[in-house]
Amino acid sequence: MKNGPLFLFGLFLSVVITWSGVVLGSHLQLGGLAPFYDETESQAYPQRPLGTAARGQLVYADLGCAACHTQQVRRPDFGSDQARGWGERQSVARDYIFQARPQIGASRFGPDLANLGARKPAAPTADALYELLYAGSPTHPAYPFLFASDRVVGERSAHALKLSGAKAPPANREVVATERAQTLVAYLLNLNTGYDYPESRPLPAPAKPAAKEEAKK
Amino acid sequence: MTTLPTHAAPAEVTVIDTHARWPLLILLTAAIKWLILSGMLALISAIQLHSPAFLSDCAWLTHGRMAALSETAFVYGWAANAGLAIALWILGRLGGHPLRALNWVVVGTIFWNLGIAAGMVGIATGDMTSFALLQLPRYVQPLLVFAYAAIAISGVLAWSGRRRAVAYASQWYAVAALFLFPWLITAAQSVLLWTPVRGVVQAIGAGWYAQGVLALWLFPLALAAAYYVIPKVTGRALPSYEAAPLGFWTLIVVGTWTGGRQLVGGPVPAWIPTIAVVGGALLLFHFVICAINLQPVFTGRGTALRFFRFGLVAYVLAGVLALLTSFRGVALHTQFTFVDAALNQVSLYGAVSMMFFGAITYLVPRLTGRAWASPALLAGHAALVKLGVLISVGALVVAGLTQGGLLLDAKVTFPEIFDQVSVALLINTAAQFVLLGANLLLLVNFARTACVCGEPVPAAAPDLFRQPATVEAPAS
Repeated sequence: MKNGPLFLFGLFLSVVITWSGVVLGSHLQLGGLAPFYDETESQAYPQRPLGTAARGQLVYADLGCAACHTQQVRRPDFGSDQARGWGERQSVARDYIFQARPQIGASRFGPDLANLGARKPAAPTADALYELLYAGSPTHPAYPFLFASDRVVGERSAHALKLSGAKAPPANREVVATERAQTLVAYLLNLNTGYDYPESRPLPAPAKPAAKEEAKK
Repeated sequence: MTTLPTHAAPAEVTVIDTHARWPLLILLTAAIKWLILSGMLALISAIQLHSPAFLSDCAWLTHGRMAALSETAFVYGWAANAGLAIALWILGRLGGHPLRALNWVVVGTIFWNLGIAAGMVGIATGDMTSFALLQLPRYVQPLLVFAYAAIAISGVLAWSGRRRAVAYASQWYAVAALFLFPWLITAAQSVLLWTPVRGVVQAIGAGWYAQGVLALWLFPLALAAAYYVIPKVTGRALPSYEAAPLGFWTLIVVGTWTGGRQLVGGPVPAWIPTIAVVGGALLLFHFVICAINLQPVFTGRGTALRFFRFGLVAYVLAGVLALLTSFRGVALHTQFTFVDAALNQVSLYGAVSMMFFGAITYLVPRLTGRAWASPALLAGHAALVKLGVLISVGALVVAGLTQGGLLLDAKVTFPEIFDQVSVALLINTAAQFVLLGANLLLLVNFARTACVCGEPVPAAAPDLFRQPATVEAPAS
């Protein structure tokens, strides 16, 4: 390593090679991924998120929700993702193509949210999400700064929270979801990996040799 | 540098050290301040894990932002400033000339730290990028590239203008870290922030960058310190030194291929996690060679050497654990749990920071021309910081394995998992508290040592200078 320029060139080359291999390689493989057009439904999937939901993703990202929540369902034989009702199928790259900044996350201190809006038997309602965000729970922090407490003037706001018990505000006041809270909840309820792409179906189990022979006969 | 061995301690401090004194002390001061700040933020973030309501009703202080802030302050505040100071000092000494372009270092340091501070405010007000280890908002990132280059140029000049044609292992590692980081962060920010790639390719790119930060930047900086200080302190040549180039190039060439190891089972092509396993296995060559080269660390005595001993064990452990958790069967139990956080703690705190502490212990007396102001504070910091890392890693591993086991059982709900791991997380909080206290001791000691370094060296040769001041070259 006496030759300075050659040494620096070698260092540079090794970074270029791994960058090309890992980042460019996967970009070439996945960057051109197009929506899947379902001819029987005359509809392409995934669908582009609504404007409010797309803005909600920014709120999700800037609050760092990904510190505790993932958005990736693994295949049925890998972990309990399906058994927990997080999704009928594994997440695939095509699910994320319209997301400006996918929040796939790396920690599950809270549940996975990839398919929150299409959970079976029932997805959470917007009211339940607002209440969780406003009041928190023993395991979830409260985000009261996403809400405004207003005096009721005339009619109640359409975005006022339906709170009861100790959390309820005094009779002449109401807790109203701010725009950030509204977009965040719209985003969460828009999270939906319900459509089954060809590549998301589990591979069929390899046929057993005995079955093959029978088929030949 | 073939000066005759001398026993008079102050003679070990040459014009190379005195010339670089103020620029490097500024870097170190910034580093230790960020370390304290990141410790406070990590403490808040740790408390929020077992008491979610803690400080969460202010948007600035939500857990997601706290976690991003403490990570950013730690990596870009503490590790970057400290690592740069160490690398420049080593390159200056091994180069044999006083460092050049030191005014660029000062300007770069000012802008780097202003950039980090602006970025931290950006994260707190909601501009975080949500990519691990790259949370700084994009508007400060170009500034950081130029500031870093301004600091690094002095090191590269010291290396290219070195007195001896031969370069030593610590020079390779230091130059690699100085030279590669600007390319690394430029490549990452261009595909993640300026012209974002589509969908999950972002996650792959972010994984590549996060691994690059370790393998091409922080690990080389830590190893540069280890390859320099260990032979100097023990006075022994490194065994099997001829294998060191292989170890070096393995890390540089293979290191970043393991970026996809956290994506096993995720919505990415299967070759991404697979190549991470292959890369992780190849990297074992690097860890084995480092362990063999640096094994004299187990023979000598002294605070600096004990830091390096802890750091080397943690370093090899980090490599082995990273490989283990990238296997599918193990990932089933550890993926998405606190085991990941424990692994981060092992590599960033256990390996990199411990080696930095070792290097700082060794270099500050030589840079200032004075022994550490308080040996008791030095010993206290060393003991507490090791204790803190051990407890925090242990607690996070226990929490992670418990969590991993319970996650696999679909009947166990999340509040139940929360109850099961909260004791371990409470212990982690205690460990963060210990770490913060330990680093406050370092700050006090450093301030007391650095603030009086204009005064003449005390007559009694201090204990910390007793290491052999033999020739620098053959041993490193």
